[in-house]
Amino acid sequence: MPDLPKKKVGLIACSGEELAEGTVTRRAVRKVLETLRPEDTVTLCLPLFLAGGEGERAFARHHPTIAIDGCAKRCAALATEKYSAKPAAAIVVSQIRKEMDFEDIGTARRLNEAGKRLADCVAELIAAETVRLLKRPRGKSHGPAVKSSGCGCGSDLPSGTVSILGQPTRIAGLPLILAQCRDQARSPDEKTAAALLEAVKIYNEVPETRERAWREALLREYVHLLKEAH
Amino acid sequence: MMRKVAVVPCSGIGKSLGAAAREAAYVLAEDLRPDRTKIVALGLLVLGDEETRRAVAGGAGIAIDGCKLECAAKGLESAGAGKVKKIAVFDVIRRHRGLKPEGVTDLNEDGLRLARAAAEEGAQIVDELAGEEEDA
Repeated sequence: MPDLPKKKVGLIACSGEELAEGTVTRRAVRKVLETLRPEDTVTLCLPLFLAGGEGERAFARHHPTIAIDGCAKRCAALATEKYSAKPAAAIVVSQIRKEMDFEDIGTARRLNEAGKRLADCVAELIAAETVRLLKRPRGKSHGPAVKSSGCGCGSDLPSGTVSILGQPTRIAGLPLILAQCRDQARSPDEKTAAALLEAVKIYNEVPETRERAWREALLREYVHLLKEAH
Repeated sequence: MMRKVAVVPCSGIGKSLGAAAREAAYVLAEDLRPDRTKIVALGLLVLGDEETRRAVAGGAGIAIDGCKLECAAKGLESAGAGKVKKIAVFDVIRRHRGLKPEGVTDLNEDGLRLARAAAEEGAQIVDELAGEEEDA
Protein backbone atom coordinates (compact mmCIF):
# COMPACT_ATOMS: atom_id res chain seq x y z
CA MET A 1 0.00 0.00 0.00
CA PRO A 2 1.37 3.45 -0.81
CA ASP A 3 2.07 5.65 2.17
CA LEU A 4 -0.55 8.22 2.97
CA PRO A 5 1.05 11.63 2.55
CA LYS A 6 1.71 13.33 5.87
CA LYS A 7 1.32 16.96 6.81
CA LYS A 8 3.39 19.14 4.53
CA VAL A 9 4.34 22.73 3.88
CA GLY A 10 2.70 24.39 0.86
CA LEU A 11 5.03 26.40 -1.35
CA ILE A 12 3.49 29.21 -3.38
CA ALA A 13 5.75 30.76 -6.01
CA CYS A 14 4.72 34.03 -7.65
CA SER A 15 6.01 32.65 -10.93
CA GLY A 16 6.17 36.21 -12.37
CA GLU A 17 6.73 35.50 -16.04
CA GLU A 18 8.06 38.91 -17.00
CA LEU A 19 10.87 39.06 -14.42
CA ALA A 20 14.03 37.01 -14.00
CA GLU A 21 13.28 36.91 -10.26
CA GLY A 22 9.98 35.18 -11.09
CA THR A 23 11.93 32.45 -12.82
CA VAL A 24 14.16 32.20 -9.75
CA THR A 25 11.07 31.52 -7.60
CA ARG A 26 9.99 28.67 -9.88
CA ARG A 27 13.42 27.11 -10.11
CA ALA A 28 13.97 27.35 -6.35
CA VAL A 29 10.60 25.80 -5.50
CA ARG A 30 11.14 22.93 -7.93
CA LYS A 31 14.53 22.22 -6.35
CA VAL A 32 12.95 22.00 -2.90
CA LEU A 33 10.14 19.77 -4.20
CA GLU A 34 12.41 17.45 -6.13
CA THR A 35 15.62 17.35 -4.14
CA LEU A 36 15.85 19.18 -0.82
CA ARG A 37 12.56 18.41 0.98
CA PRO A 38 10.51 16.17 -1.35
CA GLU A 39 8.63 14.48 1.47
CA ASP A 40 7.81 17.66 3.34
CA THR A 41 6.57 20.02 0.64
CA VAL A 42 3.98 20.45 -2.08
CA THR A 43 3.47 23.31 -4.48
CA LEU A 44 0.25 25.27 -4.54
CA CYS A 45 -0.62 26.63 -7.95
CA LEU A 46 -0.88 30.42 -7.62
CA PRO A 47 -3.16 31.08 -10.61
CA LEU A 48 -5.52 28.32 -9.60
CA PHE A 49 -5.42 29.62 -6.08
CA LEU A 50 -6.49 33.01 -7.40
CA ALA A 51 -9.02 31.56 -9.82
CA GLY A 52 -10.90 29.83 -7.05
CA GLY A 53 -9.26 26.42 -6.70
CA GLU A 54 -10.94 25.14 -3.54
CA GLY A 55 -8.37 22.37 -3.07
CA GLU A 56 -5.55 24.93 -2.98
CA ARG A 57 -7.42 27.27 -0.67
CA ALA A 58 -8.43 24.54 1.74
CA PHE A 59 -4.89 23.18 1.87
CA ALA A 60 -3.49 26.63 2.64
CA ARG A 61 -6.05 27.15 5.40
CA HIS A 62 -4.99 24.02 7.24
CA HIS A 63 -1.27 23.85 6.48
CA PRO A 64 1.69 26.15 6.94
CA THR A 65 2.63 27.88 3.70
CA ILE A 66 5.68 29.70 2.42
CA ALA A 67 5.15 32.46 -0.16
CA ILE A 68 8.07 32.95 -2.53
CA ASP A 69 7.80 36.22 -4.41
CA GLY A 70 9.99 37.67 -7.12
CA CYS A 71 9.42 41.34 -6.37
CA ALA A 72 8.10 43.73 -3.78
CA LYS A 73 4.56 43.51 -5.18
CA ARG A 74 4.37 40.19 -3.31
CA CYS A 75 1.53 38.64 -5.32
CA ALA A 76 2.00 35.19 -3.79
CA ALA A 77 1.98 36.40 -0.18
CA LEU A 78 -0.96 38.74 -0.73
CA ALA A 79 -3.01 36.14 -2.61
CA THR A 80 -2.44 33.55 0.08
CA GLU A 81 -3.49 35.95 2.80
CA LYS A 82 -6.48 37.20 0.82
CA TYR A 83 -7.88 33.81 -0.10
CA SER A 84 -6.79 31.53 2.73
CA ALA A 85 -4.55 32.48 5.61
CA LYS A 86 -1.43 34.50 6.24
CA PRO A 87 1.66 32.59 5.02
CA ALA A 88 3.78 31.18 7.82
CA ALA A 89 6.86 32.54 6.07
CA ALA A 90 7.57 34.83 3.14
CA ILE A 91 10.62 35.21 0.92
CA VAL A 92 11.16 38.04 -1.59
CA VAL A 93 13.82 37.18 -4.17
CA SER A 94 14.59 40.77 -5.23
CA GLN A 95 15.50 41.52 -1.63
CA ILE A 96 17.75 38.48 -1.33
CA ARG A 97 19.34 39.31 -4.66
CA LYS A 98 20.22 42.75 -3.33
CA GLU A 99 21.47 41.49 0.01
CA MET A 100 23.64 38.84 -1.62
CA ASP A 101 24.90 41.25 -4.25
CA PHE A 102 23.84 39.32 -7.35
CA GLU A 103 23.95 41.69 -10.30
CA ASP A 104 23.18 40.13 -13.69
CA ILE A 105 21.08 36.99 -13.21
CA GLY A 106 19.95 36.52 -16.81
CA THR A 107 16.47 36.90 -18.20
CA ALA A 108 13.02 35.62 -17.31
CA ARG A 109 13.37 33.09 -20.10
CA ARG A 110 16.88 31.92 -19.33
CA LEU A 111 18.70 32.43 -16.07
CA ASN A 112 22.47 32.64 -16.35
CA GLU A 113 24.83 30.80 -13.98
CA ALA A 114 24.52 33.56 -11.35
CA GLY A 115 20.73 33.35 -11.61
CA LYS A 116 20.85 29.60 -11.07
CA ARG A 117 23.11 30.09 -8.05
CA LEU A 118 20.66 32.61 -6.66
CA ALA A 119 17.86 30.06 -7.16
CA ASP A 120 19.94 27.51 -5.25
CA CYS A 121 20.36 29.98 -2.37
CA VAL A 122 16.63 30.69 -2.32
CA ALA A 123 15.93 26.95 -2.36
CA GLU A 124 18.15 26.50 0.71
CA LEU A 125 16.24 29.25 2.49
CA ILE A 126 12.91 27.62 1.64
CA ALA A 127 14.18 24.26 2.87
CA ALA A 128 15.37 25.83 6.14
CA GLU A 129 11.98 27.48 6.66
CA THR A 130 10.29 24.15 5.95
CA VAL A 131 12.38 22.46 8.61
CA ARG A 132 11.57 25.21 11.07
CA LEU A 133 7.84 25.08 10.37
CA LEU A 134 7.59 21.31 10.62
CA LYS A 135 10.04 21.18 13.52
CA ARG A 136 11.99 18.51 11.67
CA PRO A 137 15.66 17.74 12.18
CA ARG A 138 17.97 19.56 9.82
CA GLY A 139 19.62 17.83 6.87
CA LYS A 140 18.11 16.47 3.70
CA SER A 141 14.83 14.68 4.04
CA HIS A 142 15.00 10.92 3.83
CA GLY A 143 13.62 8.99 0.95
CA PRO A 144 14.17 9.21 -2.76
CA ALA A 145 13.64 12.35 -4.77
CA VAL A 146 10.16 12.35 -6.18
CA LYS A 147 9.11 12.71 -9.78
CA SER A 148 5.48 13.46 -9.09
CA SER A 149 4.08 16.92 -9.66
CA GLY A 150 3.91 17.54 -5.93
CA CYS A 151 0.69 19.49 -6.32
CA GLY A 152 -0.98 20.34 -3.03
CA CYS A 153 -4.49 20.41 -4.41
CA GLY A 154 -5.01 16.74 -3.76
CA SER A 155 -5.34 16.09 -7.49
CA ASP A 156 -2.56 13.50 -7.29
CA LEU A 157 -4.41 11.53 -4.63
CA PRO A 158 -7.02 8.90 -5.39
CA SER A 159 -10.41 10.09 -4.24
CA GLY A 160 -13.70 8.54 -3.26
CA THR A 161 -17.28 9.79 -3.34
CA VAL A 162 -19.44 9.51 -0.25
CA SER A 163 -22.98 10.60 0.45
CA ILE A 164 -22.97 13.29 3.14
CA LEU A 165 -26.30 14.82 4.14
CA GLY A 166 -27.75 13.37 0.95
CA GLN A 167 -25.13 14.98 -1.28
CA PRO A 168 -22.50 13.00 -3.19
CA THR A 169 -19.22 14.42 -1.90
CA ARG A 170 -15.79 13.80 -3.45
CA ILE A 171 -13.10 13.24 -0.82
CA ALA A 172 -9.45 13.45 -1.87
CA GLY A 173 -7.29 10.72 -0.36
CA LEU A 174 -10.24 8.70 0.99
CA PRO A 175 -9.20 5.22 -0.27
CA LEU A 176 -5.72 5.60 1.21
CA ILE A 177 -7.00 6.97 4.50
CA LEU A 178 -9.49 4.14 4.94
CA ALA A 179 -6.92 1.52 3.92
CA GLN A 180 -4.42 2.90 6.41
CA CYS A 181 -6.95 2.56 9.25
CA ARG A 182 -7.78 -0.98 8.17
CA ASP A 183 -4.10 -1.95 8.06
CA GLN A 184 -3.70 -0.58 11.57
CA ALA A 185 -6.59 -2.89 12.60
CA ARG A 186 -8.53 0.00 14.07
CA SER A 187 -11.96 -0.72 15.49
CA PRO A 188 -14.90 1.01 13.81
CA ASP A 189 -15.64 3.30 16.74
CA GLU A 190 -15.92 7.00 17.56
CA LYS A 191 -12.19 7.34 18.13
CA THR A 192 -11.49 6.00 14.65
CA ALA A 193 -14.17 8.25 13.20
CA ALA A 194 -12.41 11.26 14.73
CA ALA A 195 -9.04 10.10 13.39
CA LEU A 196 -10.54 9.59 9.92
CA LEU A 197 -11.95 13.09 9.96
CA GLU A 198 -8.63 14.61 11.01
CA ALA A 199 -6.83 12.83 8.16
CA VAL A 200 -9.49 13.80 5.65
CA LYS A 201 -9.30 17.44 6.72
CA ILE A 202 -5.69 17.65 5.59
CA TYR A 203 -6.74 17.37 1.94
CA ASN A 204 -10.33 18.55 1.99
CA GLU A 205 -12.27 21.49 3.27
CA VAL A 206 -14.76 20.30 5.86
CA PRO A 207 -17.27 22.92 6.99
CA GLU A 208 -17.20 23.14 10.78
CA THR A 209 -20.96 22.91 11.03
CA ARG A 210 -20.95 19.61 9.13
CA GLU A 211 -18.12 17.85 10.90
CA ARG A 212 -20.48 15.47 12.65
CA ALA A 213 -22.11 14.43 9.37
CA TRP A 214 -18.67 13.92 7.80
CA ARG A 215 -17.52 11.85 10.78
CA GLU A 216 -20.59 9.63 10.54
CA ALA A 217 -20.20 9.21 6.78
CA LEU A 218 -16.52 8.32 7.13
CA LEU A 219 -17.25 5.76 9.80
CA ARG A 220 -19.98 4.27 7.62
CA GLU A 221 -17.50 3.94 4.74
CA TYR A 222 -14.94 2.34 7.04
CA VAL A 223 -17.47 -0.23 8.30
CA HIS A 224 -18.36 -0.95 4.68
CA LEU A 225 -14.68 -1.49 3.82
CA LEU A 226 -14.23 -3.90 6.74
CA LYS A 227 -17.32 -5.88 5.70
CA GLU A 228 -16.04 -6.14 2.13
CA ALA A 229 -12.78 -7.58 3.43
CA HIS A 230 -14.59 -10.49 5.13
CA MET B 1 0.29 51.70 -34.62
CA MET B 2 -1.21 48.47 -33.33
CA ARG B 3 -1.47 48.18 -29.58
CA LYS B 4 0.66 45.30 -28.36
CA VAL B 5 -1.16 42.04 -27.75
CA ALA B 6 -0.90 40.84 -24.16
CA VAL B 7 0.42 37.28 -23.93
CA VAL B 8 -0.53 35.61 -20.67
CA PRO B 9 0.84 32.13 -20.02
CA CYS B 10 -0.13 29.61 -17.36
CA SER B 11 1.79 30.14 -14.12
CA GLY B 12 1.63 26.57 -12.92
CA ILE B 13 4.84 24.91 -11.81
CA GLY B 14 3.56 21.42 -11.11
CA LYS B 15 3.34 19.99 -14.60
CA SER B 16 5.19 19.98 -17.92
CA LEU B 17 2.29 21.42 -19.90
CA GLY B 18 2.35 24.54 -17.74
CA ALA B 19 6.06 24.91 -18.40
CA ALA B 20 5.43 24.43 -22.13
CA ALA B 21 2.77 27.15 -22.03
CA ARG B 22 5.25 29.53 -20.43
CA GLU B 23 8.00 28.67 -22.89
CA ALA B 24 5.54 29.20 -25.75
CA ALA B 25 4.88 32.71 -24.46
CA TYR B 26 8.60 33.49 -24.50
CA VAL B 27 9.02 32.08 -28.02
CA LEU B 28 6.08 34.14 -29.24
CA ALA B 29 6.97 37.41 -27.51
CA GLU B 30 10.75 37.26 -27.91
CA ASP B 31 11.37 35.32 -31.13
CA LEU B 32 8.32 35.31 -33.39
CA ARG B 33 6.43 38.59 -32.79
CA PRO B 34 8.54 40.76 -30.47
CA ASP B 35 7.21 44.03 -31.87
CA ARG B 36 3.56 43.15 -31.54
CA THR B 37 3.33 41.28 -28.25
CA LYS B 38 4.25 41.64 -24.62
CA ILE B 39 4.20 39.12 -21.78
CA VAL B 40 1.93 39.91 -18.86
CA ALA B 41 2.32 38.03 -15.57
CA LEU B 42 -0.84 36.18 -14.60
CA GLY B 43 -0.31 36.65 -10.87
CA LEU B 44 -0.27 40.43 -11.21
CA LEU B 45 -3.27 40.39 -13.48
CA VAL B 46 -5.53 38.31 -11.32
CA LEU B 47 -4.47 39.95 -8.10
CA GLY B 48 -5.66 43.21 -9.63
CA ASP B 49 -2.45 45.18 -10.05
CA GLU B 50 -3.72 48.50 -11.44
CA GLU B 51 -0.90 49.14 -13.89
CA THR B 52 -1.16 45.62 -15.31
CA ARG B 53 -4.94 45.73 -15.65
CA ARG B 54 -4.75 49.10 -17.43
CA ALA B 55 -2.28 47.63 -19.90
CA VAL B 56 -4.71 44.83 -20.72
CA ALA B 57 -8.17 46.40 -20.45
CA GLY B 58 -9.90 46.88 -23.80
CA GLY B 59 -7.04 45.37 -25.80
CA ALA B 60 -6.45 41.97 -27.30
CA GLY B 61 -4.88 39.17 -25.33
CA ILE B 62 -3.68 35.64 -25.99
CA ALA B 63 -4.04 33.18 -23.12
CA ILE B 64 -1.75 30.16 -23.27
CA ASP B 65 -3.08 27.63 -20.80
CA GLY B 66 -1.56 24.40 -19.57
CA CYS B 67 -4.71 22.73 -18.25
CA LYS B 68 -8.45 22.76 -18.67
CA LEU B 69 -8.98 25.14 -15.79
CA GLU B 70 -7.83 27.92 -18.15
CA CYS B 71 -6.58 30.28 -15.46
CA ALA B 72 -4.82 32.52 -18.00
CA ALA B 73 -7.96 32.97 -20.12
CA LYS B 74 -10.01 33.67 -17.01
CA GLY B 75 -7.40 36.18 -15.86
CA LEU B 76 -7.56 38.07 -19.15
CA GLU B 77 -11.34 38.07 -19.15
CA SER B 78 -11.57 39.31 -15.60
CA ALA B 79 -9.14 42.14 -16.39
CA GLY B 80 -11.45 43.38 -19.13
CA ALA B 81 -9.45 42.43 -22.22
CA GLY B 82 -11.44 43.35 -25.34
CA LYS B 83 -10.60 40.16 -27.22
CA VAL B 84 -9.39 36.98 -25.60
CA LYS B 85 -7.86 34.38 -27.88
CA LYS B 86 -7.10 31.02 -26.34
CA ILE B 87 -4.33 28.54 -26.96
CA ALA B 88 -4.66 25.33 -24.97
CA VAL B 89 -1.39 23.44 -24.85
CA PHE B 90 -3.30 20.24 -24.07
CA ASP B 91 -5.06 20.67 -27.44
CA VAL B 92 -1.89 21.63 -29.29
CA ILE B 93 -0.30 18.36 -28.20
CA ARG B 94 -3.20 16.44 -29.80
CA ARG B 95 -2.34 18.06 -33.11
CA HIS B 96 1.29 17.01 -32.71
CA ARG B 97 1.02 13.38 -31.74
CA GLY B 98 4.10 11.63 -30.53
CA LEU B 99 5.42 14.50 -28.44
CA LYS B 100 6.17 13.53 -24.84
CA PRO B 101 6.98 16.68 -22.92
CA GLU B 102 8.77 16.17 -19.62
CA GLY B 103 10.37 18.39 -17.02
CA VAL B 104 9.26 21.62 -15.43
CA THR B 105 12.43 23.51 -14.54
CA ASP B 106 14.02 22.39 -17.79
CA LEU B 107 11.73 21.10 -20.51
CA ASN B 108 12.96 18.22 -22.63
CA GLU B 109 13.25 18.48 -26.41
CA ASP B 110 9.65 17.40 -26.96
CA GLY B 111 8.50 20.02 -24.47
CA LEU B 112 10.38 22.71 -26.39
CA ARG B 113 8.90 21.45 -29.68
CA LEU B 114 5.44 21.62 -28.18
CA ALA B 115 6.11 25.17 -26.97
CA ARG B 116 7.27 26.16 -30.45
CA ALA B 117 4.12 24.71 -32.00
CA ALA B 118 1.91 26.60 -29.55
CA ALA B 119 3.88 29.80 -30.17
CA GLU B 120 3.40 29.45 -33.94
CA GLU B 121 -0.34 29.22 -33.41
CA GLY B 122 -0.01 32.37 -31.33
CA ALA B 123 1.87 34.15 -34.11
CA GLN B 124 -0.92 33.31 -36.51
CA ILE B 125 -3.44 34.81 -34.11
CA VAL B 126 -1.34 37.98 -33.80
CA ASP B 127 -1.28 38.32 -37.59
CA GLU B 128 -5.03 37.83 -37.81
CA LEU B 129 -5.58 40.47 -35.16
CA ALA B 130 -3.35 42.88 -37.07
CA GLY B 131 -5.33 42.15 -40.24
CA GLU B 132 -8.61 42.84 -38.47
CA GLU B 133 -7.24 46.13 -37.20
CA GLU B 134 -6.15 47.20 -40.66
CA ASP B 135 -9.55 46.31 -42.09
CA ALA B 136 -11.37 48.30 -39.42
